[in-house]
Amino acid sequence: MSNTEAVHEPSEPAQQLTTTGESDERVREEWTEYDFAGDAKLAVEDLDVYYGDEQALQSISLDVPEESVTALIGPSGCGKSTFLRCLNRMNDRVKSARIDGSVQLDDEEIYTDGVNLVELRKRIGMVFQEPNPFPKSIRDNISYGPRKHGDLDTGLLARVLGRDDREQEADLVERALRRAALWDEVEDRLDDNALGLSGGQQQRLCIARALAVDPDVILMDEPASALDPIATAKIEDLIEELAEDYTVVVVTHNMQQAARISDQTAVFLTGGELVEYGDTDQIFENPESQRVEDYITGKFG
Amino acid sequence: MSSVTRNRLVAGDSTTSVLVARGVLAASALAFFASWLVLFQWVDETALVAGVHVLKLLGVALVAAGVGLTVVGVGSRLEYFESTPSSSAGLPVGFVFGLLWAVLGGLVATRLLGNALAMWLPVAAGFGIVGLLVSVLPREDVGSTLPVAAILVLLGGYVVVGGINAGWTWSPSWSSAVFPGSELVPLLVVFGALLSAWSAAKAREGFGAEGRQSGAYYLVGSVVFAMLGVLALLVAFIVKNGLETMLTRTSLTGGHLTLPFVGSVPWAEFPFLMNQTGGLFVEVPGVLPAVMGTLWLVFGAVLFAVPLGIGAAVFLTEYAERGRFTQVVEVATNGLWSTPSIVFGLFGLAFLVPRISGGNSIFVGQLVLGFMLLPLVLITSREAILAVPDEHRDASAALGVTKWETIRSVVLPAAMPGTITGVILGVGRIAGETAPLLLVFGGSPYPSSYPNVLGSFQFSTQPPFVTNDALLSPASALPYQLYSTITAGVFPKEIFTNTEFGWGTALVLLCVVLGLYAIGVGSRLYFRRKLHHE
Ligand SMILES: Nc1ncnc2c1ncn2[C@@H]1O[C@H](COP(=O)(O)OP(=O)(O)OP(=O)(O)O)[C@@H](O)[C@H]1O
Ligand SMILES: [Mg+2]
Repeated sequence: MSNTEAVHEPSEPAQQLTTTGESDERVREEWTEYDFAGDAKLAVEDLDVYYGDEQALQSISLDVPEESVTALIGPSGCGKSTFLRCLNRMNDRVKSARIDGSVQLDDEEIYTDGVNLVELRKRIGMVFQEPNPFPKSIRDNISYGPRKHGDLDTGLLARVLGRDDREQEADLVERALRRAALWDEVEDRLDDNALGLSGGQQQRLCIARALAVDPDVILMDEPASALDPIATAKIEDLIEELAEDYTVVVVTHNMQQAARISDQTAVFLTGGELVEYGDTDQIFENPESQRVEDYITGKFG
Repeated sequence: MSSVTRNRLVAGDSTTSVLVARGVLAASALAFFASWLVLFQWVDETALVAGVHVLKLLGVALVAAGVGLTVVGVGSRLEYFESTPSSSAGLPVGFVFGLLWAVLGGLVATRLLGNALAMWLPVAAGFGIVGLLVSVLPREDVGSTLPVAAILVLLGGYVVVGGINAGWTWSPSWSSAVFPGSELVPLLVVFGALLSAWSAAKAREGFGAEGRQSGAYYLVGSVVFAMLGVLALLVAFIVKNGLETMLTRTSLTGGHLTLPFVGSVPWAEFPFLMNQTGGLFVEVPGVLPAVMGTLWLVFGAVLFAVPLGIGAAVFLTEYAERGRFTQVVEVATNGLWSTPSIVFGLFGLAFLVPRISGGNSIFVGQLVLGFMLLPLVLITSREAILAVPDEHRDASAALGVTKWETIRSVVLPAAMPGTITGVILGVGRIAGETAPLLLVFGGSPYPSSYPNVLGSFQFSTQPPFVTNDALLSPASALPYQLYSTITAGVFPKEIFTNTEFGWGTALVLLCVVLGLYAIGVGSRLYFRRKLHHE
């Protein structure tokens, strides 16, 4: 998908108007086109999500540029996590969820029949809002993904056949943990159960676990919500660093954080609409939409 | 009993009441244990202790406890002791006390009015209502002590004045039961001691919320104690009766063990455990064939039921859509688990035996016990799998891991302790199962050789490629052995009677089952360790 036909085609607002009525009049007026240089890694078009009869996302369209950090901000319950989960089709796992629209990864539609979900999720990694390490050792948590994908072979058979990848595993575990700023804390307790870590450590472990699979895109749902300022700073550094090779989409409630780390920001507001999307600097300094300005300055939640 | 020390907000004289309450607790405990001694006939009911009849002493203890409770309760009501009672002991306590009083009233009326059938009812009802009111209406300190104290003093006093003594019996006209005083008195005392200890436990903490907590702890504690007591009694009884048989001609160095290169070395000898049951040259008949039979049965049943049960549970929880079908399967498995074992046995006899071995055999026994084990394994692993949080599944899916790999590497390990619990329970049941074994498994009650399953495999190049005669022959198992021994006429060897041999077998069976439990609990601990940080 080229830049010019990015998200906000002229026809877009009109369509929104027909689907959702009065309040969108304002949206259209405030609407702005975001144009970026480079390729779109993820292209979302007209994404509607319903949980039962409740509509959680309303016709969302946005393009995520490659090798950059995209922040999603908005009040609680506005559908940020829902949107994130649509990008690697984790919402398919919610029974009541119904999803309409299109998401393209590298110009390939992911919402069609015959998409290999396993392959898709290998390429789009995810860190959940709640830390959810497996009840296994720290080492096994990290090497779980690569091992299941056949990149590591540490089983009994491999050992007997002399194809043991233990060193490679140790290497991979260390690299992932270092990137997630956890290595120093767990270096000498890699065989301890991951559930014995603190909440913040668990969250960083989950980041490390996602990195170990080496995806193209990393989705993070409030990765720093349970962390102290020092660990948060480390995670922010990590995110910025990751953006050199990866495409990062990160949900955050912390606006300073969004302003610090992201290249572009999407603002969702209650009801599941995308109100404004653009360069982070521009969104925070000079938003087009009055509602976004109110939200950012704290007048509106 | 806990000894709680804490700083009261208001300093006052609470030490006296605490001391009295402790005294009541001590008297109750003494009376309680003494009564059990009498009940078990370890102390003769006519014995004299310090020149007084034992039963009278028990009565004195009850009266003393009753007086002590009265002192604490009334003293607290008159604000002589520091306490924090609520305004009432509460309706539940009232109903219990009312019921006790009603029973007491009924007994008194029957005694005094000479079994006149119609008259005891109004008296009992009147007592009951009084008991209810006396416990509910006054403040808690009086309401939860005086009704108890009254019962204790009445009962104890009646015993002390000789109203009931060792030679006394009560045989109600409407029943053929006879209650001799030698049993009735200790029973009443046990019961009274429990009551007074509850009341004293409340009083010791000054009533109110803390008193109720103390009372509740005491109740929970005594229930646990009672349960352990019953268990210990059972085990002790079996050990007492079976130990002598089991240790017959045992010696630590009497036997020989032939080692390669070294030759014969002294070795511990356990004839009862290591000998065959029958045979010409067996001096001390043993239970080795039955032990081996039981172990093979359990092994085969587990081997059969565990993979099937877990597989079905995985299918039902992870793959099948929840709906009519899974509901039917759930109801069916629950029903299967409660099906009487003899029905399984009959099925084995009518269906499996003719098709597989043509007669009783170990293999059919394993299958039948496996069928019995299957539903429990299925039910418990289904629960365990359902209890694995969805977050783990999501986390795994988000890493691009397939569903089957997720089940294998995340869900099943997390569900393992629960599954093992089910297997332990099930093995406990099937290891002691007798009824189906009578129909499909048992052979000679005094076998002269143990089933040599491992040595009987025969391989061939033609179908079915492998056969095992030992598996297709009948054998003996411990519960089966026990049953056939005690129902048989005379024991073939002089050295034991049927009963002696039976008790020995029972003890070995108990040990085998406990051993299997230990293995199960050990493996469950191992998996728990892996799952949790400990
Ligand atoms: N599994 C679900 N089933 C039904 N409704 C859901 C489900 N998940 C989310 N919703 C609803 O969808 C809406 C958006 O939820 P979502 O979790 O995406 O919000 P969010 O922006 O991530 O909020 P927060 O910042 O609090 O995490 C909410 O109204 C929520 O109630
Ligand atoms: Mg969220």
